[in-house]
Amino acid sequence: MRFDWSVITDNWPLLLYGAGNTILLAVCTMALALPGGLLLAALRMTPWAPVRGFATAFVEFFRTTPVILQVYWVFYVLPVMTDIRLSAFGTGLAALTLNVSAFNSETFRAGLNSIRPGQRNAGLSLGMSGWQVLRLVVLPQAVPRVLPALASTWVSLFKDTSLVSVIAIEELSYVGLQLRAQSFRVLEVLTAMAVLYWIMGYPQAKLVDWIHRRIKVAE
Amino acid sequence: MTAGIAPIVEITRVSKRFATVQALDGVSLSVSRGEVVCLIGPSGSGKSTLLRTINGLEPIDNGTVTFDGIDVHARRTDIRKIRQRMGMVFQNFELFPHMTVRRNVMVGPEKVLRLPAAEARDRSELLLAKVGLREKADVHPAQLSGGQQQRVAIARALAMQPAVMLFDEPTSALDPETIGEVLNVMKRLADEGMTMIVVTHEMSFARRVADRIAVFDHGRIIEVGPPSQIFEHPTVHRTQEFLSHLGWDAAPKRNLESDSTGVPE
Repeated sequence: MRFDWSVITDNWPLLLYGAGNTILLAVCTMALALPGGLLLAALRMTPWAPVRGFATAFVEFFRTTPVILQVYWVFYVLPVMTDIRLSAFGTGLAALTLNVSAFNSETFRAGLNSIRPGQRNAGLSLGMSGWQVLRLVVLPQAVPRVLPALASTWVSLFKDTSLVSVIAIEELSYVGLQLRAQSFRVLEVLTAMAVLYWIMGYPQAKLVDWIHRRIKVAE
Repeated sequence: MTAGIAPIVEITRVSKRFATVQALDGVSLSVSRGEVVCLIGPSGSGKSTLLRTINGLEPIDNGTVTFDGIDVHARRTDIRKIRQRMGMVFQNFELFPHMTVRRNVMVGPEKVLRLPAAEARDRSELLLAKVGLREKADVHPAQLSGGQQQRVAIARALAMQPAVMLFDEPTSALDPETIGEVLNVMKRLADEGMTMIVVTHEMSFARRVADRIAVFDHGRIIEVGPPSQIFEHPTVHRTQEFLSHLGWDAAPKRNLESDSTGVPE
């Protein structure tokens, strides 16, 4: 077996371009899924039952079906059902955002519920508004508690971006797999992809570990 | 309306039902300015629920609660304005764990009353000194003992300069050796003329400090009177029963035998 790394050295701008899109997609998804998750969590805690039911069904659907199916669904079914036509990148972003929002909403809900009701009452009894209670009392305690879970979701999301290669978004996996198909240098291309994912993912995983440790110490 | 004579808190035939329990069953009680009223009775008899209806933390089904002539539970009432003038102290302290002791005491005056930070700070200094915890201003609540935390909670409530202080079993979660320091702070407040409504199981405190005591049983007030009446000549059999469960046998034996109907002597 002879290795020929020229396929990598000749095409590294393309691979970097793919890696850049991977990062862009992950960042955009999380940027949308944080408010999305908060909104869903808020809907699941309203006193209005139909809204709560809808939000719960939404969250449970996206938590319990495969991401790749969701990507296909948004790609094929959404345009037919709604006349909404998104670019490939937009489609992948939409599917991942829906999925990660559902997970984030569960994280936020658990975080908010972990603050005992007495804390809320203490704020209210000082004459605070509901908004002040949330901002001054509940969120400052809930945010550190949800950070570790959000960080774990982020790491999963980063890797899950590879799934949108199935709808031809030019992120790292798609670019790599294309390169493999053209050059037949399977081993070299896949190794290079793995190295690139590892270089990007390792610092993130370490950061998550660090967040976990910090939060534990703080408590 | 004549201040000082009109009651500051007036509770009229208040009822409250939880799913299967009638927590409050037509309770009436009025509290005058400067008065200390202790609410005693078995667990689950409605004392804490009543306390929570006074500042609107607990909605009611029927009846009225007025504070300084304002209907607390009326839709048009700005409940926040009322709560700003009532201090509340909880069984589990409920200090804000992410804030220093000083921030805990400052946050109400600064964020709710919108005082300048410097003024809120001065006020917190004064109150922390008053409860004997000035040197703890910069630590977080978790580093304090239960008794110290509860004293901070009292300072936090006082920082709003309330007209009434509500205490919900303030010493029930404390180690025996720290109960005294909290009761002393409360006694001093009472001596200064603060209007106080105190749910408590500390009978010696109730006896020493209360102007009147209301005895609860099954969501009703079964007897109201000065400590001398409640502890020495209770007129209701259930009161005697409750007190003797707690080891108070000051009540003359003859009452135990003759009275089960609640008829005064």
